[in-house]
Amino acid sequence: MIRVRVPPVLRAVTGGARVLEAEGGTVREVFEDLARKHPALGLHLFDERSGIRRNIICVHRDYVVRAGEMAGRAVDEGEELILANAFAGG
Amino acid sequence: MPVSLIVGTKKGAAILTSDKNRRNWSSDFALKGWPVTASARDEGGRYYAAVANDVFGPAIFVSDDLKEWKQLETAPRFNPGDKGNEQHIRIAGAADFMGRYKDSPRLVDQIWTLHAAHGAVYAGTSEAGLFATRDRGKSWEPVSGFNDHPNRDKWEPGFGGLCAHTILSDPKNPNRMWVGVSSSGFFRTDDGGKTWNEKSKGVNQDVGICVHHVTHDPANPDVLFRQDHRGVYRSDDAGDTWIVTENGLPGGELSDGHKCSFGFAIAMDRKSSSVFIAPLEGDNFRLPHNGQLAIYKSNDKGANWQPRKSGLPSNCYSGVLRGAMTTDQLDPGGIYFGTSSGTIYASTDVGESWIEVASELPRIMSVEAYAT
Repeated sequence: MIRVRVPPVLRAVTGGARVLEAEGGTVREVFEDLARKHPALGLHLFDERSGIRRNIICVHRDYVVRAGEMAGRAVDEGEELILANAFAGG
Repeated sequence: MPVSLIVGTKKGAAILTSDKNRRNWSSDFALKGWPVTASARDEGGRYYAAVANDVFGPAIFVSDDLKEWKQLETAPRFNPGDKGNEQHIRIAGAADFMGRYKDSPRLVDQIWTLHAAHGAVYAGTSEAGLFATRDRGKSWEPVSGFNDHPNRDKWEPGFGGLCAHTILSDPKNPNRMWVGVSSSGFFRTDDGGKTWNEKSKGVNQDVGICVHHVTHDPANPDVLFRQDHRGVYRSDDAGDTWIVTENGLPGGELSDGHKCSFGFAIAMDRKSSSVFIAPLEGDNFRLPHNGQLAIYKSNDKGANWQPRKSGLPSNCYSGVLRGAMTTDQLDPGGIYFGTSSGTIYASTDVGESWIEVASELPRIMSVEAYAT
């Protein structure tokens, strides 16, 4: 099981949950499992073509994983991902 | 009768609720962190609020009481194989550092308007599309006749992208609807959405067909009032032909030297048949003329316009966005608008005078009024 930390703006979608659990061997697979379990959240992770939305990032082992890297980024059982967004500005 | 406003801002929705006289207002703030781009109420009283986050994309929240909001598990989406408009993708994907848009997908990146009619709720999107739900948001269907319009490959976006921002309907004729698309035209269907014809004869089209917003009285739906990039127009024949109606409006100069009345917001009070617009100083500045915030009102179908600025500030340098002015359709009519610097003004005397209802909000993108 992988723990995924949910950013504050998405907690309106997860019923307030700060951490969700999902399964998968890569970051993308974890997101796919999240989308299956939480369809409303899935709308925010994947676009019409099942691509991970381009400005989503996540932190894994202190490394910032960009959307295009998520399918190839392996995760191990028990690890944590921090779902985030490339925000800028005030 | 009390009125509730859903004020869509860049960082959430201000919910403003009045007393029965519409003089005293209480406020709440919902959907914190989400840009709220549009709202609507369906015939059963359910409220819909569209959100569009630059990172996490668009979605729709619903509420039955304006207090508790729940996101729908579905949203308007194009078919995965639909080819997108390359110019729109270039605008929407300006920060496409991962090269994700190289195959030109057609994606919904924002819901610009929601419109309840004939038992459905319609959504107008960018990239330009039209979708409908007939089961209160459980599912959304594309209006294929519009989304796959035979001339779609000739559609061109405005500077804000290729967006379907205006939807109007005929309450007596479910086969007739209108949709405005920047900057590709004002489309009408007479066969329930199967086919759509562009309706801009008489409108200056030197820079494309850049319709900004259109309004009408549903009781007299074929009389349409249109704020375009290049002027203000009226149609008396459901959009077949248009005439310029700018007498009394402050003129402005556009980038190419063309002179007309520029602006975005336009709204109509049905009881008095008065029409309201918020002129801005040309397409370069997009500010109130001479720093005086003013709403212009016409009581004679746009033939003449008069400024109404009692209660509105001078030294004001913020504009009124396309979806940020509305009416409550009570008697006398209430008119409401929000500025790009976060202030809401209300008039309960059909636009003759204005009071400030809220301020210090984030940039206001949409305002809708609901008599409660």
